[in-house]
Amino acid sequence: MRRGNQFSIRRSTAVARRVLAQIRRDRRTVGMLVAMPAVVMLIFGFALSGQVSHVPIAVDNQDNGYHAALGGKNVSLQIGNQVLAALQANDAVSVVGGNYSTGKAGVDSGEYFAAVLIPSNFSQTALTMARGGNVTPAIQLYMDGTKPSITTEVLAVLQSSVQNASGIKGFRLVQQYAYGGVKFSGLDVSLPSVTAFVLTFLLLLISLLTVSRETTSGTLPRLYTTPLTAVERLVGYTFALLVVSIMMVVVVMAIGIGLFGAVVRGNLALLFAAAISYALTQVLLAVFLSNFARNEFQAVQLAPLIALPSMALSGMLVPIYSLPGWIQPVARVIPMYYANQLFEGIMLKGYGVSALSLDFLAVVAMAAIFLALAFSTVKDRMDE
Amino acid sequence: MIEVKDAVKVYKEGKIRAVDGLNLSIKKGEIYALIGANGSGKTTTVNMVTGALAPTSGRITVLGVDMPQHRHDISRRIGVAPQEYSLYSDLTLEQNARFFARLYGIGSQDFERRFAELNEILRLKGRERSLVSNLSGGMKRRASIECALLHEPEAVFFDEATVGIDPVLRAFLWDYFRTLRSSGLTILLTSHVMDEAGKADRIGLMRAGKLVDEGEPGSLMAKHNVRSVEEVFLKLSEKELGDA
Repeated sequence: MRRGNQFSIRRSTAVARRVLAQIRRDRRTVGMLVAMPAVVMLIFGFALSGQVSHVPIAVDNQDNGYHAALGGKNVSLQIGNQVLAALQANDAVSVVGGNYSTGKAGVDSGEYFAAVLIPSNFSQTALTMARGGNVTPAIQLYMDGTKPSITTEVLAVLQSSVQNASGIKGFRLVQQYAYGGVKFSGLDVSLPSVTAFVLTFLLLLISLLTVSRETTSGTLPRLYTTPLTAVERLVGYTFALLVVSIMMVVVVMAIGIGLFGAVVRGNLALLFAAAISYALTQVLLAVFLSNFARNEFQAVQLAPLIALPSMALSGMLVPIYSLPGWIQPVARVIPMYYANQLFEGIMLKGYGVSALSLDFLAVVAMAAIFLALAFSTVKDRMDE
Repeated sequence: MIEVKDAVKVYKEGKIRAVDGLNLSIKKGEIYALIGANGSGKTTTVNMVTGALAPTSGRITVLGVDMPQHRHDISRRIGVAPQEYSLYSDLTLEQNARFFARLYGIGSQDFERRFAELNEILRLKGRERSLVSNLSGGMKRRASIECALLHEPEAVFFDEATVGIDPVLRAFLWDYFRTLRSSGLTILLTSHVMDEAGKADRIGLMRAGKLVDEGEPGSLMAKHNVRSVEEVFLKLSEKELGDA
């Protein structure tokens, strides 16, 4: 037997030691190896620690109550107020008063998750039922059907509030869903945020790799000696990556809509425009970040470091209002939050430009900020 | 044409003085070879002169313009072939050349003419469609020189221009450099191969970031009473070691 071909743990160890020495040499990578899992774990921990809470609902309590003389005693019932008090005491929801039609409009615009109407005869009907009457008290509910987990939670909160407050069982919840009355499937409601995540992660990764390749290929020092300015170079990367983005958006849409039959209630062209606008922010973010990556290894690590917290904080997993209070402002500066709003708005809610103008504006403003940051940090000469 | 006055370059990391009080004056139409061992400061000098790197102190002017502050004013008039090939290895020779031609604002027709001409001269004809990664080291070096000459610059900077090139081709390249010089082109090149630098009009010997001697190769050999540039360099190095 030739000894040379035998497995040698010493040689394997030599390889392992060399790899670890290389990693150790790259301080940023060592930092990332500690920081990345820590940041991701902390963010996911905070984001997922809370239950569904502070879901905004509008309640219109029109219940007149019921006053009657029963067995020589005056009985006065106000179940609507009791239900309202029970809802107000429940952290799962955040109750706003007002009339039902305003509440419904608020659901349509995304301000509230649900609008509740406790009708004027609620107490009376409840008491009639309790006395054996063939009637059932009903509460009307107008809900955003795009988030099944919250829908379930709100229904449970309503059920328990009515039962605990009044003791009545068997009341009816007359449910109506917003956005065309559609009850969306799990796939329908997931696809907008999945689309946003795919674009976030893959575009960041590809853009960071593409731009940082210039650094590692050794071509950058030569470019510094040509008429090409740093700004022209960044604009060039952006143009190229925008073409890549368009291709990626087409693939994502074709599979989401064509293969999985994702619901697009709004305008398809507007959806495409939203996807491209968002893609541009990711490209510009990557172009900005690549100014700080010295090699492809460092660049690649930045993609999950941004994409994973985006996933946790953008409303993809947990709605923003259920995040701990101090995280919520952070969530609102995450570009993917606005991508979710746009994609969900167009695909599920059928919103047009006017309803989404602020989200579009946020995306464009972020693109402009990343562009300015990229321009102000780009190097026009070699590192010193 | 190229003036370097008291140039110092200190790299922040490690506080290395890569260039330490360098003075150079290169005339128009001259081939000037900076020679020295690896790490003597040649590449740093080229990077500073071409505007890719800012000196820590001192003044550098090329074609009458301060570098690197006003490098864009003259970047169309200079050509650079860095020590690393600095080409896109996953593109063909033609794609690389076309990219650099576009940066220098060369029109399509001019490019075709110039590219064909240079391919002929640099013996790259037939390899236009080859990926740079598939070219030999010598071919990559010539391709890099080609990209530096496409826009017919007035001054060119070749860092280790003839490394990895076989002796026959190296002799040919030197002939070509002289042809370019006769048409008025100024050439600053670096080499750690001492003897080939003897073909330059003037040479500057660098050691530890300083210019230790400078002059025409023949004069330098006579001055130090030796028969090759390499011996001049060795003699100067011995002297410095002795002084230290």
